[in-house]
Amino acid sequence: METFTFADVAIAVPDRVTDPHRKVWAKRAGPGSWWTGAERIAIADESRRALDCGFCAERREALSAEAVEGEHDSGGVLPAVALEAVHKIVTDSARLSLALYEGLVADGLSDAHYSELVGVLVAVFSIDEFHRGIGAALEPLPEAEPGDPERRRPSGATMEGAWLATVPADALDPEDADIYGGGRHAPNVVRALSLVPENVRTLGDLHGAHYLSYDEMRIMEKIRELSRSQMELVAAGTSAVNECFY
Amino acid sequence: MLRASVEANSETVDLNAIVDGSVSSGIEHGAELTAFAEVLVTHSDELPAARQAIVDLMGEGALVDAAGTVANFQRMVRIADGIGIPIDERMAEASGDLRSQLGLERYGSATNTVRAAGA
Repeated sequence: METFTFADVAIAVPDRVTDPHRKVWAKRAGPGSWWTGAERIAIADESRRALDCGFCAERREALSAEAVEGEHDSGGVLPAVALEAVHKIVTDSARLSLALYEGLVADGLSDAHYSELVGVLVAVFSIDEFHRGIGAALEPLPEAEPGDPERRRPSGATMEGAWLATVPADALDPEDADIYGGGRHAPNVVRALSLVPENVRTLGDLHGAHYLSYDEMRIMEKIRELSRSQMELVAAGTSAVNECFY
Repeated sequence: MLRASVEANSETVDLNAIVDGSVSSGIEHGAELTAFAEVLVTHSDELPAARQAIVDLMGEGALVDAAGTVANFQRMVRIADGIGIPIDERMAEASGDLRSQLGLERYGSATNTVRAAGA
């Protein structure tokens, strides 16, 4: 069955958007570096459930989220520590903190599992946001595929200033040499998820689909329907509503 | 990037519009675009009206671009805040004055940059 047809909206969505969406959907179904296919689909499913989670809504309104007791509305597949991470990142990202991350690790979530979890959920959440933006129904999640996670940690992973290890451009393993486009420098936000190299490839695909490719970012003239300044105003507004300093 | 784009295109913009909805950015249809971003991020009931305003003023292609840009930065802010990355040195140098002007240091995620600088 063909996916991402956007048949329910009378809007022409270009291939530069639909093709990467299909690629992400296909990858989400199979095992990743640290999670199985079923767990990756569960992470995606929880990113949707979080928006209607009563516990998350109550905590978001509270001055101190940790003071609110309760349970997340969940599908019951993920362990509690992963469930907490997914719901918090989706619904209350402005109050994520080093202490919260360290608490997740203390509760048994490894740094690599966390990196992949963030990569899976932000990819699906952003695709869903695009759908909501144009008024289209959300794409059904794919069926999970069997198989074991790869469980490979990049040998060059090191602490570079983030909460968890990332991989510098000059320390990539040969099989990951492509993830920064061959450049000698990658911005912090591009390296952020590099503990799971596939995350970085997906990030690049979706960057080009939703906004501009890394090469297109150097072009300040109008190359989309919106001018570059209009796009940047939307970007800045989105970051401001999220209270994101970065 | 907003400041870079307006400078490159010889435009004039009031960057305070990013954090103050009562300020006009000076960018064509800026009010409608920032309103669309806000209601999509907050999943407000006003989203259908904001969406239609974009289509009426600029067309369906503009809606695809606006929705895509919001989607992209909904992803990027969660990566930045979820991994606790500091801002890049070059970005800090280029935007330090603007961050102060807009009062962005009050955001909780600013501590990630402060922490990394002190490490």
